[in-house]
Amino acid sequence: MTDIDFEAQVYSVHDIMNCEVCHLKELEVEEHSEIREVLRCILHTIVFHRALGLVRPKDKDSELFEITYVQCEDSELEKKIEEKIDLFIFWVEKHPNKKSQVCLSFYEVKNNKATWFTNKTERLYWEQWYINLNITKHPKAHRRKSHHSEVIIGPGDCVMEEKSGRQAALETSLHEVLFQIIKFVNEKRDHIPPVPNVEGVSFPYEITIPSSSDSTFGMDMFKRMLQTGHPTMLS
Amino acid sequence: MALQGSSQSESGRHEQIISQFLLKSLHIILDSRIPSLSRHDLSGELTPVSRVRKSDKWFNLVLGERPASLEDLNFWHRNVMDPMIIDVILVHEGPSSSATDDLYTTSGVGVPVETVIERWVVQYEPSGTVPPQQVEAPASYKKMYQKAIVLLRSLYSIMRLLPAYRIFKQLSSLNQTYNFDLIYKVSSFGELLSRAEEKVMKQYSFAPVEAPSGRLSISLTYQPTLSGFNLAPSTPVPPNIITDYVGSPAADPLKVFPCTDKGIPATSFSFRRIHSPTSVPFQRPHSWSSGIHRVAPFKQNHPLCGSPPAHHTPPVPCHSSSPPDIYGYRIQGYRPPSHKKGISFDEHQLSPPFLPSPSPSPPTYFSSGNPFRTAQGTETAPVSIPLPNMGRNSRYTIPNSSDPNRHSLPPMSPRSTRLDLSSQESPSSGSRSFRKTDALRSGELSGFAQLYSGQKIFKDSKDDSGRFSGIVSSSGSPRVGFSRSSSRLSFQDDLDDCDFSYPFVVDDVDTSDSQTRTPEGKEASESTSQAFPSARKSQDAAVGVLVHMLRTAPPLRQDYSCYSSQTSKSEFEGEVGSGSGFCVPRKTTDALEELKSYREMKDLLLSQSGTRVIKKEEAKPTAFVG
Repeated sequence: MTDIDFEAQVYSVHDIMNCEVCHLKELEVEEHSEIREVLRCILHTIVFHRALGLVRPKDKDSELFEITYVQCEDSELEKKIEEKIDLFIFWVEKHPNKKSQVCLSFYEVKNNKATWFTNKTERLYWEQWYINLNITKHPKAHRRKSHHSEVIIGPGDCVMEEKSGRQAALETSLHEVLFQIIKFVNEKRDHIPPVPNVEGVSFPYEITIPSSSDSTFGMDMFKRMLQTGHPTMLS
Repeated sequence: MALQGSSQSESGRHEQIISQFLLKSLHIILDSRIPSLSRHDLSGELTPVSRVRKSDKWFNLVLGERPASLEDLNFWHRNVMDPMIIDVILVHEGPSSSATDDLYTTSGVGVPVETVIERWVVQYEPSGTVPPQQVEAPASYKKMYQKAIVLLRSLYSIMRLLPAYRIFKQLSSLNQTYNFDLIYKVSSFGELLSRAEEKVMKQYSFAPVEAPSGRLSISLTYQPTLSGFNLAPSTPVPPNIITDYVGSPAADPLKVFPCTDKGIPATSFSFRRIHSPTSVPFQRPHSWSSGIHRVAPFKQNHPLCGSPPAHHTPPVPCHSSSPPDIYGYRIQGYRPPSHKKGISFDEHQLSPPFLPSPSPSPPTYFSSGNPFRTAQGTETAPVSIPLPNMGRNSRYTIPNSSDPNRHSLPPMSPRSTRLDLSSQESPSSGSRSFRKTDALRSGELSGFAQLYSGQKIFKDSKDDSGRFSGIVSSSGSPRVGFSRSSSRLSFQDDLDDCDFSYPFVVDDVDTSDSQTRTPEGKEASESTSQAFPSARKSQDAAVGVLVHMLRTAPPLRQDYSCYSSQTSKSEFEGEVGSGSGFCVPRKTTDALEELKSYREMKDLLLSQSGTRVIKKEEAKPTAFVG
């Protein structure tokens, strides 16, 4: 099982060209619980369709939606996904009201011949999934901050009804996203590398979250590399 | 040759993959739709993936043990070229359409209806032409196999995203029962769907998996929404204790059954029991109600079908409200005798079999001689006449002429009777006279009265207890008449055949009576002859006088046992005093005075009768003796 890699990868043109990319339908989320559940459903569903080793499927009922998704019976996988979701939510709190993406990539590791200045392992991404989220500001936060507004805070029922309506719409959209995933995984099967005789997740993967705004995404990663002193950069 | 051998092995492997693919897809579909076939492991402890059976490792998807039905289906589905059509059928309620159902169901409960909500078609579609490179490349089967893995993963995921999965989850819940069920049907051909079904159903097809000489495909026709079906949880029947259980009528037939509200409310039961939300469920349905199992798999699928005893309540007709059979029979058994208990069939809607009609149980209550009913059926209530010092003679107090038991009572032995009476009686002439008076008051007035009194007078001297024995033996009817108390004169005819006698009235006739009569016979005959009026007119007059005397005489006490002991004439004179201590309701002087009056009356009658009476009397006593 490969570790999730936060560092920027140097992609060869060849690798990217053979990579199948799927941009999922954008979902509008507000609360952190919604973000968490949405990411859980999508990430586990995708991994389940791409973990082609011997797997015992595990049905998981969403805590927020009337959706049952399937995940691999892999505690390590579940732990990694939860950690990534936590980081993403942390980032969302710092960058509210922004559109963001979470990228799930599957790759192959190619051991390139080490040269005198590079000794890196090349990753050949053969599939990437982009989860598009539109994180809107919490409407309740608006009302609380508004001191001069004459808008009277409505009864709790109205807020709940609005929330339930929004969540219902989100559930429907999430449902469509899952169908989209299923359709994609079936249509694009030729690019899948040979399945190794392993259990569980057969292909290495990574989950990438934005650490900052999209424009500065690459610069932030470069700065981190300099700070950590990655051997690949120093060699 | 090698190529041919490899091709043969490849083709065999190819067919094996196709066959396993069909079986695996069937397993996935049924495991996600049919609760009874679901492999849900509630223990939480699953076998490690590495230790699963090889058969379960196909397509790298561990599903668990296959149900036996799937094994049978695998055996059936031999030809991989035939499509496998799997229908997921929803069994739900339909509108009530039959009037005959009203007897057993409340309004609203309909006939179960089967609706195909999903139709899966899993098949291998052979292609006409086979590319040679695909046949020769052994890696093609690996690619095919890998793609089949992905396809089956997709199938597994989509099974949980379709609307039918929610129904499956509800049915899989052990805490709730519902009025619907899911069954399946597997065949190699699909029945045509109705137009209505085709209009509402949607199509979905997976991307086929290219295989040598064909392709594997999975397609789906499904109901996009199931909100139009009446799917609701059924009212469970919690175990309830019947606090007012009345018990079996056989145990206590005379028990009064109160009419309570909880008694037998109207309920209707169907095999799903959904349209009786307000009914009070009865925990013990009628045993005669039949279960409803329309489809064989239906039994396996849902508790409502009756398999799990905890949740199932077999269908019961709506009039089966009575608790169980016993209560229904109980009511029926009590219906004839008492209608006032407030329990009626109409009120509580008992099922038809429990109406007064021949049925196995109820007749036992009718024909077994229910004592309650028997007692009610008698025309006259048993009346026991209170008698003093009845002792062992108490059984003779039942005056019921229709009492069949009366004749079954053994007659008392004369001697035993006399002994009993002697212990209770006092040799009192007064008692004797009063006894005679009482007998006369009964209306049994005849010429034998005088004879009776005379015999009493002379015979009592010999045998106290047998004072009236002579009288009894000398005449049939008088004996009967005098052998009864005033309250029993109506039953005189019944005692003709009985040798027993009422202890306070008369003693049984004994052979000793004749002996006792012998020495006194003359006197008795004389007295009787004297007492017997020859002339009718004179007799009638005498009788009238006697009647007048009796009517005007002071009332006697009921304790006639005191007077049953008869004393002879000598006793009358000499023994009254000695015997009076036992039981003398009146003074001796009063008795003597009365005796004197009778004597005077006797003399008067005799003087009027003359000698002709004497002659007639000489002939008649012989008739009495017999």
